[in-house]
Amino acid sequence: MIIKKAVITCAGSSQRKLPLQTLIDKDGREKSVLEILVEETLSAGIDKIAIIVHPGDENTYREIAGDYARYITFITQQEPLGYGHALLMAQEFIGNEAFLHLVGDHLYVSKSDKGSAWQLVQRAQKEECSISSVSPIRENAMSNYGVIGGKRIQGSSDLYKIDSVIEKPTPTEAEQKLFVPCLRAGHYLCFFGMHVFTSVLFRILQNRFQGLKKGEKLNLSDTLNELASSEHYLAFEKNDWRYDVGTKYGLLKAQLALALAGQDRDQVLNDLLELLTLRELKNSN
Amino acid sequence: MSKLVDIITATTDSIRNQSLDAACRTMGFEQLLEECQSLEELWYTSENLYEKVRALFFLYAIHRFHLPFREEITEKSLIPFIVNEHILNRRFVEAIDILKERQRLLGPSICLSSALAEAYKKLAFQTLADQVRRSVRSIRGNQWMFRIGHPSDHPLRIKKELYRTDRAELYPLLHETTPVRMDISHSGWSDIFFLGMDYPEGAKVLNISIDLCVQDVQAEQKPKPPVETFLRIIEEPVLRLTSVDLGATADITRLSEVFDFAKDYLGLLKAAVIASGLVPSAMEGVDIPISQVLSQLVGHGLGIELVSQVNGIPKGSRLAVSTNLLASLIAICMRASGQTKAIIGQLSEDERRLVAARAILGEWLGGSGGGWQDSGGVWPGIKLIQGVVASEADPEFNVSKGRLLPNHTILDQNMVNITARKKLQDSLVLVHGGMAQDVGPILEMVTEKYLLRSEREWESRQEAIRIYDALVEKLKKGDIKGLGEFTHKNFYGPIQTIIPWATNKYTELIISGVTEKFGSDFWGFWMLGGMAGGGMGFIFNPEKKAEGQIFLKSLMLTLKKELEDSVAFAMDPVVYDFAINEFGTIATLNQAGESLLPTGYYAIRVPQILKNEMHKIPISIRQELEQLGIACKSKSEYASFVATLFDRMIPQVQAAKGPEHTLQQLLEAQGFDPIFHNQLKADLKNGRIGLSQNRLPVNDKITDVTPNDVIIPQPSELTTYYNIGQEAIKSGQLAIVSLAGGAGSRWTKGAGVVKSLTPFAKIHGKHRNFLETHLAKNTKISMECDSWIPHVFTTSYLTDKAIKSSLERWKYYGFQGSVYISEGKTIGLRFVPMTRDLRFEWEEMPQQILDEQQQKLRESLQNAMINWAEQTGEGSDYIDNAPHQCVHPVGHWYEVPNMLLNGTLASILFNHRQLKYLLVHNIDTLGANADPAMLGLHIAHGAALTAEVISRNLDDKGGGLASVNGKVRLVEGLALPDEKIEFDLSYYNTNTMWIDIDLLLASFNLDREKIADKLLVKEEVRNMARRMPSYITIKNVKKRWGKGQEDIYPVAQFEKLWGDVTALSELRCKYVVVPRFRGQQLKEVAQLDGWLRDGSAVYLESICDWCD
Repeated sequence: MIIKKAVITCAGSSQRKLPLQTLIDKDGREKSVLEILVEETLSAGIDKIAIIVHPGDENTYREIAGDYARYITFITQQEPLGYGHALLMAQEFIGNEAFLHLVGDHLYVSKSDKGSAWQLVQRAQKEECSISSVSPIRENAMSNYGVIGGKRIQGSSDLYKIDSVIEKPTPTEAEQKLFVPCLRAGHYLCFFGMHVFTSVLFRILQNRFQGLKKGEKLNLSDTLNELASSEHYLAFEKNDWRYDVGTKYGLLKAQLALALAGQDRDQVLNDLLELLTLRELKNSN
Repeated sequence: MSKLVDIITATTDSIRNQSLDAACRTMGFEQLLEECQSLEELWYTSENLYEKVRALFFLYAIHRFHLPFREEITEKSLIPFIVNEHILNRRFVEAIDILKERQRLLGPSICLSSALAEAYKKLAFQTLADQVRRSVRSIRGNQWMFRIGHPSDHPLRIKKELYRTDRAELYPLLHETTPVRMDISHSGWSDIFFLGMDYPEGAKVLNISIDLCVQDVQAEQKPKPPVETFLRIIEEPVLRLTSVDLGATADITRLSEVFDFAKDYLGLLKAAVIASGLVPSAMEGVDIPISQVLSQLVGHGLGIELVSQVNGIPKGSRLAVSTNLLASLIAICMRASGQTKAIIGQLSEDERRLVAARAILGEWLGGSGGGWQDSGGVWPGIKLIQGVVASEADPEFNVSKGRLLPNHTILDQNMVNITARKKLQDSLVLVHGGMAQDVGPILEMVTEKYLLRSEREWESRQEAIRIYDALVEKLKKGDIKGLGEFTHKNFYGPIQTIIPWATNKYTELIISGVTEKFGSDFWGFWMLGGMAGGGMGFIFNPEKKAEGQIFLKSLMLTLKKELEDSVAFAMDPVVYDFAINEFGTIATLNQAGESLLPTGYYAIRVPQILKNEMHKIPISIRQELEQLGIACKSKSEYASFVATLFDRMIPQVQAAKGPEHTLQQLLEAQGFDPIFHNQLKADLKNGRIGLSQNRLPVNDKITDVTPNDVIIPQPSELTTYYNIGQEAIKSGQLAIVSLAGGAGSRWTKGAGVVKSLTPFAKIHGKHRNFLETHLAKNTKISMECDSWIPHVFTTSYLTDKAIKSSLERWKYYGFQGSVYISEGKTIGLRFVPMTRDLRFEWEEMPQQILDEQQQKLRESLQNAMINWAEQTGEGSDYIDNAPHQCVHPVGHWYEVPNMLLNGTLASILFNHRQLKYLLVHNIDTLGANADPAMLGLHIAHGAALTAEVISRNLDDKGGGLASVNGKVRLVEGLALPDEKIEFDLSYYNTNTMWIDIDLLLASFNLDREKIADKLLVKEEVRNMARRMPSYITIKNVKKRWGKGQEDIYPVAQFEKLWGDVTALSELRCKYVVVPRFRGQQLKEVAQLDGWLRDGSAVYLESICDWCD
C-alpha cells in the first residue's frame, strides 16, 4: 500500500478561519496554519493534497497557501452536512487509493526529527490497513474528541485494534464501551486528528449518506465505528504534541509549542521568564 | 474431612444445597466443635466470597441453634467486656479470636456461644455488604465517579438544550415521569442482592410497571405515572433541591451539604445528585462552595434546580416508590448532563441498566437497600427480571456465582397480549393497608435461611420458583383466575413457610373478610413486596371488581379501627386505580411558556420568595412569578393555586391549637402532677439530673454475686417445691400481675401502640397477642392446680382503654378466672432532650457502629437532632406531636404501687381472702408462668421478694444482679457507673418476681387493713417513691405526618424502675436462677425468627392452654 494523496478538511463553519491564522514556525518563519499542515503532509512524502473548503473560500486559501498551492486541489462542500460529508467530497479525488487525512484546525509537534504524519504513513504502509493516530487523554477532556475502544496488538507497544469509536463520550460511556487494557485508570485513547484511510471509508460514507434523513448530518465517528467492524482498523499511539487551534488559547498554546520546539527556543524562554518576573515583581510591590 | 466444609465447597447442587440443620442433627457435641474448627479454617483461607460467607453463617447457626442445646455445654461463663467493645466497633474478627481463646481455656458455654453467634452473623452480613459495595463501585460506568475528586476535573456538562436562548424567557424545564413497579412474584425474596449473587438461577421476578391514582382523592382522574421529577438551570450558583410531597426545599451552597443525607428530607435527591455523577462520590469530604462544581457543570453564576413529586402515593406502598423516584431523579440528571443519547423520550436498554445500577449506588449511599428489581419502573410494561451467572467480563467473576445486576426481558404484546393485560387490569384491586412496617429484619432472615439451606425454607424456595413459572404461563395465556390462584398459593405456601412474619393478623382478617363476602368471585390474594399489611393486591372476577374496591376500603377502615391500638398503622388504608405503563421512564423538555413547575412546588417556594423585598428578588424569579400569575388566570391546573397559597401562608388557627388543647385534657385526666414536672424540668435544665447523673457513685463497690447469693434449684428439690406451690395455688394464695402499661417502643420503634395487644406470632393456628398468651399460661396452671388464679393487668393512660375493650370484645380470651385491671394514674410529659444528654447517649455510651454508609447517615441524623433540640429549646415540654406521643408512662415501679393507689389490691384481697403471693412479670417475658415449683421455692425461702434471674448472654444488656457495697440487689444498667461492670455480672434480671404481699405492704408501712385508707396509702406511696431513684432516659418517639411519613425524635423522660425495690434494706430478697426459655424477653421484631427456631416458641406452646 503506497499513500500518495491527502485530504485536509477546513469547511466547518467554526473552523473556516483557523487555517488562515499565522504563526511563527519552528524554523522561525511566519506561516499560516495551512502552510504548516501542507508542509507536514509534504514531509510524509505526499504531494497531492485536497482541501475541503466552504464555498467561496478557495481564493483566500489559495492565496494564503502561496507556493504550496500547486500541490493543492480545492474542493468545496456545498452544503454543511457534517464532517463525514466533507470527507466524502474527496471521493473522486482519492479514487480507490488509501489516503492521509488531517483536520484543518490541528497543529502537530513531533518529539522526533520525523514528522507525525510521516510516522503514521510509514505505519499504515507497513500494516496495509486504515490506521488513526491516537493519544491518551484524561476522562475530563473527552468532551472535545472522538475516542476509541480496543485491544493492544500483541507484541506491539503502540498499535491497537480498534473495536469501537464514540464521538465525545461521557465518562460512563467510555468506561463501559471504550475500555483499553494497559492504560492508566481514567485515561482513554482519543483521535489525534490524523488518519490514514483505505477507500472502504468512502463506501461506508456513501451508504450512510444515502440513508441520511432530512436535518441529519453525516458524522465521521459513527462511520469509523462501522469501519472498525467491517475491516481491520488500527490505532497508532503517538506521544507527539497536538494543538487544537480552535479552542480557547489554542492558537497561543500552539505558538508557544512551536517556538519552544524550534530555533528560537532560548529567546522565547527568556521572554517568558522576563514577563513572569516583571509580573511577579509588580504584584509584590 | 469436614462434612460441612464439603457441603459449602461442593460444585454439585445436590450436595451444595444440603441443609446445615439436617447435617448437625446427626453430629455429636465433639464433632460439632471439630466442624467449627474446619469452618473457621475455610472462612479464613477461602478466596471465594460465598464460601467465606456460608462458613460464617454455618458457624453462627451452630453456636446459636445447636451447641447451646446440647447437654455437654455449660451454662455460665462471663463474656469479656472487650468482646462487646469489639463487636460494637465492628471489629468482629478480634472479638471472635478472644472468644475462641476463652472457649479453649474454659470450655464451650452458652454465654460464649451467644457472643460467637452474634459476631459470626454480623461478620457474615458485613462481608456481604462489603461485596455489594465493591460490586457497585466496580461496575463499569460507575468507577469514574469514585475518581473525580476536584471540580476542575469534572467531565460532565449540562446539555445546551437546557439553556435559554432569550433572556426574556424562562429556562426550559426537563420533566421525567416514571411508573412504579409491582411484583407478581419475587420467587421468595430472590431479588435480595446477596441471594441473586449466591443462586442466580433462582433469582426471578415477574414485575409490572404501573401508573396509579388513589381512589376517591382523585376520583375524576385517571391513573398516571406516580413519580415526576423536574430539572432546570437557575440563575443562582446553588443546587436547589425541592421535594414537593415532603414540603421541603433547600439551597445547597457547600459541597459537603450534598453528602449530609439526614439533615433534611432531601436525602433521596442528594443521593441522586451523587449517583448520577453531577457531584461525583469522590468529592465527599471536600468542603468548598458548590459554585465551583456548578461553574464547571453548568456555567459561571448558574445553578441547577431539581424537584421531585410523588402524586399522592403514600409511603410503604410496597410498590418501590422511593427506588423508582430515585431512579427517575438519576435518569433526569443523566439526561441533563449528556449521559444519555437522547435528552427526551424513552431510554435505551443500556441506559436503563445504567440507571438501575446507579439507583443501587444511590440506595447504598442513602443507607437503605432494596432488591435489584425495585427500579423496575424504569422499564416499560411487563418484564421478567432474572439473575445472571457472572462471566469473565464481570467484576463478580470468581467472587460470587451471580452478577450484582440482573437481566430484564420485556414481555411485549406478542407474549402477553392486549386482552390479557386488560383482563389483569379489570380484575386486580390494589390497596395500601396502611400498616407501617420495617421489611429490613425479614430480608436478613431470608438471607440467613437461604445461605444455611434450611430444609423447609429451601424446599419452599424451589416451590416459589415453580409458582413463578406457573404465574408467567398464566399471564401469557391471559388466565387471570389461574394467576390469582397461584399468587394466593404463593402467599399461603412458600412465603409463609419461609417467613411466617410476612403475614399478620390484619392481613388475614382482610383476606377472610373478602373470602366470606365474595366467595368464588374472589380469585386470590397477592402479596406485594416484602411483607403484607401495606401494599396488597386482591384479584376478583372482573364483574365484581368495582364492588370489591368499595368493600375493601370499608373493611380495611373497620379493621384498622379495631386493631390500631395493637398494630402500628402509619395512615388510613387506601384503594388505588392502576393501569399498566407501557413506556417506563420517559422525559419531555418543556420550552418557555410551558416550563412552569407544578403548583405544589410554588406553594412551598412562593412564601419563601415573598419574604424578600421585591427589588431583592432576582429578575429570573420575577419573570417566573409573572408567568405563574398568568397561568393562574388561564390554566385550569393553576386555578386553585392562590387559595392554596393563602392557606399555606396563613395557617388555620384552630388546627394549630387543637392538639395542645387535647394534650391538656389528657394530662388533666391522667393525674399529671405539674409541680413535680416543673421541678423535674428545672433539675434537668440545671444539670442536676440527666443521663450521666443516673449512675451510682463511682466509689460504690459493685461486684458479681457469689454462688451463695443465688438459688440454683436442684432437680431433687423441685418436686417438693412444686407440691408446696401447687397447694398454695389450690388454696387461692397466688395472683398474677402482668405489667401491661408499656407502649413497646423497641417493638414498633416508638409507634405508640399497646405492646400487650400486639399479635406477635401465629401460635396454635392463630395470631396471638401477649395478653392472651399470659392468660393461656394462667389457664394451663389453673387447670393443673384446679383453681383459677386471679390475673391482674396493670395499665397506663396509653394502654388502659385498649386493654379493657380488647378483653371485653374477645370475652377475656376464654379465660375463666377473675381478671382485674389496675389502671395507671401516673403520667409524665416528655421533654425536648438536653443536648448534653443526647451527646452522652450517642457519644459516651457504647453504641453499635453501623456499616460505613449507614453510620454516616446516623451521624448526620444525630447532628440534625441536636440542632432540633437546640432550636426547639432544651428541656422544654415536648408538645409538637399527637397528644399520646407527648406523654409517657413513668416506669414500671409505679405499676405495683398503683394497685394500692387505685384500690385494685384491696379489691382482690377482698375477693380472694386467701391471697398471699403475687407473681409480677413483664408483658414480653413470654416464658414466665405461675410455675408451682417456683412459687413453692419462694414460699419455702420465706422471702418478701424472690427475683428470677438468668445467666447472661451477649444480648442481655441493661444491668443485672450485683453486690453493691455488700448488698445483693438488682441494678439497672442506667445506674452502673461504668459499662464494663455489666460484663462482670453473671446474671441478668428477668424482672419476674414472686412477692409476699404482707411483707411488701409492711415495707410501705401498710397492712391489709390500712390499704383501705386512701390518704394514708397515697402518703406512704409518695414516701416510698422518694426513696426510689428517678432515671432520665432518652426514648425514640415517632411523629407521623403527610402520607405515611414518619420521623423519629429522641425525647427525654423520667422513669422509676421496679427492680430498685431490691435495694431496700427492709425487704428480704432472694434470687433464683431460671432457664433462659423462662426468663428471656421478646423486645424486637428481629428476635422473632430466632425465638421460633431455637425452641422458645415450642416451649411457650407447651406451657399454654388456649381457650379456643
